[in-house]
Amino acid sequence: MATPVRSSGAEGLRPTPGDLVLILLVAAAAVALLFALRPHGGTEALTVRVTVDGETVAEYALADYTEAVQVAVDGVSWPLVLELSADGVRVAESDCPGGDCLRTDAIHSAGEQIICLPNKLIVSLEGASNAPASDIDAVAG
Amino acid sequence: MPVRRLTRCAVLTALALALSVAEGLLPLTILFPLPGLRLGLANLVTVYALYALSGREALLILLARCVLGSLVGGNLTALAFSLTGGLLALGTMAALKRIPALSLLGVSVGGAAAHNTGQILAAMAVLGSRAPLLYLPPLLLCSIITGAVTGAASALLIRQIPPPRN
Repeated sequence: MATPVRSSGAEGLRPTPGDLVLILLVAAAAVALLFALRPHGGTEALTVRVTVDGETVAEYALADYTEAVQVAVDGVSWPLVLELSADGVRVAESDCPGGDCLRTDAIHSAGEQIICLPNKLIVSLEGASNAPASDIDAVAG
Repeated sequence: MPVRRLTRCAVLTALALALSVAEGLLPLTILFPLPGLRLGLANLVTVYALYALSGREALLILLARCVLGSLVGGNLTALAFSLTGGLLALGTMAALKRIPALSLLGVSVGGAAAHNTGQILAAMAVLGSRAPLLYLPPLLLCSIITGAVTGAASALLIRQIPPPRN
């Protein structure tokens, strides 16, 4: 068996059953968290809420957008353009470093969100049924 | 600190910086759009330093890498992110290394999971919202793979480059 005190060197390099236990623990934590945060939002009567640095700067009712419309977001450090359409919203353009928000897919149902960290921006979808939606309802992207 | 050790730390810091920059050129998020997802190549150096040198040297290399990295290509927010993730990962790995039942592979997976948790915590602090928590479950699942890959690479590295004697 392995010695309790490990000096540097070649000890502890071979995978052990303990590694598998740790991997399963991490996976279990992920699944538990996924379950706790699972979406329960619909896709009807959606409202887009745009939050910058903790303050709501704009709200759009998606039902009003039968054709895709691009809108610029005000008050962000790096210019960012959202594309609103009847069935969802996505980030169309962003000058932020990294561009994670651009690579996030469009969101379509209540509780989903897009985050642009450099801009401290959260775009979230809220449904009619859970109006003051908790902001931890679904996984976006 | 003897000159040999100092030089070794400096070389490893430079290597860690080069690996982060190289990773930045081809981010994993292009293949899989999950904010915060990284392979964590610079973690190779941290794991090597932790196993082949000492925890203290691993910490010094990590701090130097984060500060220099934010000077090279980032900003203060990037520094806060890399420090939170990096310190939490190193702390977790130093603690897990003391558990005899775990090999470097498990230690590395634990470090990757801790790194992602740290980044999400930093994002929650920056945004003042629980919203980023949604990204944690998929990131944790990915950290099992990225941690295993960097762990296997580190084990190879430590076998091929034996720890220095002094």
